[in-house]
Amino acid sequence: MNRSRAWRVSVVAGVALSAVILASVAGWAQESVAVRAALVKDNLPAEDPTAAAWSSAPVSEFPLSPQVHWAPRIQEVTVKSVKVRGLHDGQQVSILLEWADPSEDPDDAAALEFMVGDKKAHFAHGQPMGQVEGGPVNIWFWKNKDAKVLDMNAKGFGTLKAQDQQDVKGKGVYQNGTWKVIFTRSLSTPDAEDDAQIKPGDFINIAFAIWDGKRDASGDLKEKGSQKAVSSWWYFRAEPPPDYSGYLYAALAVGLAAGFQFVVIRKLKKGSSS
Amino acid sequence: MKGGVLLKGAILTVGIYLFLKLALPLFTAPLPASLIFIYLALTVTGIVIFATLSGQSTEAFFGPISRFLSGEGQTGAMKTARLLVLVLFPLLVGWQTYSSTAPSDQPPAENRTIHPAPPGEFVGLSNPIPNTPENVMAGKGLFAAFCSPCHGNFDGKGPAARGFSPPPANFVDPGTIAQLQESYVFWRIKNGGVGLPIEGMPWKSAMPRWEVELKDEQIWKIIMGEYDGAHQKPRTWE
Repeated sequence: MNRSRAWRVSVVAGVALSAVILASVAGWAQESVAVRAALVKDNLPAEDPTAAAWSSAPVSEFPLSPQVHWAPRIQEVTVKSVKVRGLHDGQQVSILLEWADPSEDPDDAAALEFMVGDKKAHFAHGQPMGQVEGGPVNIWFWKNKDAKVLDMNAKGFGTLKAQDQQDVKGKGVYQNGTWKVIFTRSLSTPDAEDDAQIKPGDFINIAFAIWDGKRDASGDLKEKGSQKAVSSWWYFRAEPPPDYSGYLYAALAVGLAAGFQFVVIRKLKKGSSS
Repeated sequence: MKGGVLLKGAILTVGIYLFLKLALPLFTAPLPASLIFIYLALTVTGIVIFATLSGQSTEAFFGPISRFLSGEGQTGAMKTARLLVLVLFPLLVGWQTYSSTAPSDQPPAENRTIHPAPPGEFVGLSNPIPNTPENVMAGKGLFAAFCSPCHGNFDGKGPAARGFSPPPANFVDPGTIAQLQESYVFWRIKNGGVGLPIEGMPWKSAMPRWEVELKDEQIWKIIMGEYDGAHQKPRTWE
């Protein structure tokens, strides 16, 4: 009787505990605030959006809004959210965007945006801010019909310009109503004035934009220019190599504490026996 | 009487901890953990000094501790307790060391000030538009056209809200426009997110700079419609 009751209590407690853990993990997975590019030893799938390596990369999902921040605005967009994965090998970083789009169109496009340097930049093309001196943004822009990525800069509306030095490669694959587009660049570049520098371990700001290149009945593009799906700033981090020094320090501390105990108890025993 | 000083000291320390942690915040802001640590360190120091004033009280204070730790003549529960302490203490020290030296893998903490101070020229302005049903109605119409894509039905849940962080303000919430004067709301609409000072993190805000597209008169009407629609009253100087 007693035993079966104890058993039941422990089953209930176990189920409750698992539920709490599951709920907290699920809640955490829904609330992406950062893209975490995992470190891979070799075989970075730099130009293959469908490589098997991507399935093991951690995924973050970010909601997208119709761009209503500045004119010309758009009130409704096709793409409601984007899934983002990242991998790096210590030299190059690859970022994979994945989103649902019912049709493949030549003008389908996507962009990543980063702040450059230490100065904060507004997510809307680094537009000027009233009380804060802002910096430029670095934009990596992919368009289906161009089949390449443009490495660009902006510092305010109407200033978007492709760089002379193009550092970003990319490729898009459309399958079963889903776009997978990859952007690849070296973590660091010599041009720190214009390019976002990615140092493993540091969090930098990232934003996303996606255009559905579908045309309406009169042949006009539904989404173009500032009429697109956007996010504001989130975080991006290339994961640093694993750092085991914390375990080493902890083991040292355990050893010291145990040694201290040993010495104290030996002293106490000697004292009480004398 | 044996162990009395030790027991009293322990009870006093726990009592002071509970007072600092639970009772004091009823009257003032919660104390930071570092301050509580300093107070407890002072308490323990005081108790040890008091307990070691004479040889007799020193023995009464340290005797039980050293008998427990040396483990002589212990049986049953006491023996297990001693073993547990001897195992847990080094582990606790190790855990503390680990958690204080392990590098953080969390994004930087953001201390965004939600309602930072407005520039001087926006302090104390009053709404020049007469509060008539027609003007309130006109304001609500402008709100529907320009603000509702993000701010929705005054609740911050418009169809364009989802991608923006920080999320658009919910005016029904008593913590937003109900806490603000009309002149403050006028500043926030006119200069938008990019008009915020650095502590407001202007680079993240999707609030448009409406002075580019709307006349002052339209902004004042929107404010009127916004308070009416959200069932809030602007804050005034009493």
